[in-house]
Amino acid sequence: MSTTPPLRVLDARYLEPPEPFVQTMEMLDQLALGESMRLLLFREPHPLYQVLRRNGHCWQTSLLPDGSFDILITR
Amino acid sequence: MQALLSFDQSPPLAAPLRFFLTAPWFAVLAGVLLWSEGATVFASRWMPSALAATHLLTLGFMLMTMLGALIQIFPVVAGANMAHPLRLARVVHGATSVGSLCLALAFLYSLPWLFALAGGLLLLAIAYFLGAAGLALRGQGLANPTIRGLKLALFGLWVTLLLGLGLVGALAGGWRLPWAGLTDLHAAWGLAGWSGTLLVAMAYVVVPMFQLTPGYPARESQLLSPVLLLCLLLWSVALLFSAEQVVRLAEAGLALLGLLFAGRTLYLQAHRRRPRRDALAAYWQSGMLAAILACGMLLTAAIAPALAQQRAWPLVFAVLLVAGAFMSFINGMLYKIIPFLGWLHLQNAGRGTAPPMAKLMPEAPALRQWWLHQLALLTLLLAALWPESFARLAGFCWVLANAALGWNLWQAARRYRQYRPAPMASGQGGGVA
Repeated sequence: MSTTPPLRVLDARYLEPPEPFVQTMEMLDQLALGESMRLLLFREPHPLYQVLRRNGHCWQTSLLPDGSFDILITR
Repeated sequence: MQALLSFDQSPPLAAPLRFFLTAPWFAVLAGVLLWSEGATVFASRWMPSALAATHLLTLGFMLMTMLGALIQIFPVVAGANMAHPLRLARVVHGATSVGSLCLALAFLYSLPWLFALAGGLLLLAIAYFLGAAGLALRGQGLANPTIRGLKLALFGLWVTLLLGLGLVGALAGGWRLPWAGLTDLHAAWGLAGWSGTLLVAMAYVVVPMFQLTPGYPARESQLLSPVLLLCLLLWSVALLFSAEQVVRLAEAGLALLGLLFAGRTLYLQAHRRRPRRDALAAYWQSGMLAAILACGMLLTAAIAPALAQQRAWPLVFAVLLVAGAFMSFINGMLYKIIPFLGWLHLQNAGRGTAPPMAKLMPEAPALRQWWLHQLALLTLLLAALWPESFARLAGFCWVLANAALGWNLWQAARRYRQYRPAPMASGQGGGVA
């Protein structure tokens, strides 16, 4: 019997640059094809979007009331 | 997949660096002017030397650093790439530098042809930048508060430019225009519509990112810039139609919005994770206090306009807003942006062997320069109140503070060049992994 692994979450809101980028890439490396992760930041990571686009990943961004950007990335 | 930070879309460091290394010397020139002219600079806001010094600061320092920073950070904060960034930087930097100098000299010597030349150069610089920025932001939505604020700030710069060109036309070609009203509109759009809106938009990114604070609440950050621009529009129309009550209402609105933003930023800074005393935090805290005082003066003037009729009132207000608030925010960011960009480019060039940022820009000289800036600000405020006693001293302190800033930034650039590895014949891809 197979179970769905829990969604990986990276809360990078209080990390100094470039740690959020580096840790996101490391977490993405561990994802299986079709698996997703959540990234929390206080800004939209446009440079990361470029890399995600280049690597064929999908993502969806929403702005939370406290000013956090919640980014769901699927490999 | 490798954890690489791509620089494919990032402008070369030479693009923004020329703006950052030049700007402090325009502030030094303004200080030299104050040092040599003395009390006449503070006799009235209409004195030629006061107008020359003001534009050395607002164009030569503020606009210069803002445009340079935007060329660099558009891809980071907005995902928008300006076409041919190095060529854009060369033209905008050259035309802004010469144009600002020409305008200051034109004020000092009342030369119509020099006003025309300055106007032409500044039109070239700003219109070229705005065109490139507008094209880069095409198709970007308005949901992100920073992108929304950026677009509104660019609109504010357009309005400031057009009003400024009208004033230059009046000085160069004798156009018959309502001089005093247009000047107020030009200053308000330059300080609130362009600089203020841009500061707010950038703060949403850089305050949490570099100071590790909580974020600005979403609803507040989405509404602040549009409401600020609406207040400014209302104020402008009311001024044109001499609707005194509406002018005061809009001024009160602008002041309250400024107080809300400054108060919110100080609150977020008080809740920093890993708080430490660095030049960025020191400059942003002192800058926010100056902004609160300036907004308090604007609110007081809206409630009791008779107070604002005093000679020193507009001078103290301008010193607090320009030297105390805006220049502080910019100085603080320069101390963070230059080592950060240098570090990123060294990582890219050196395959992950860049020195820590503190090696490129040590905190101690930056904090010493912050103290010099505070001393210069204090003497400028005293000079606005008692010009005969303090104007030359303020000019000297201002020269000292800004020369120290220029020296510190130059040293950071020099260290960057020392660490930069020699080009290799072959190598792997660069990155920050």
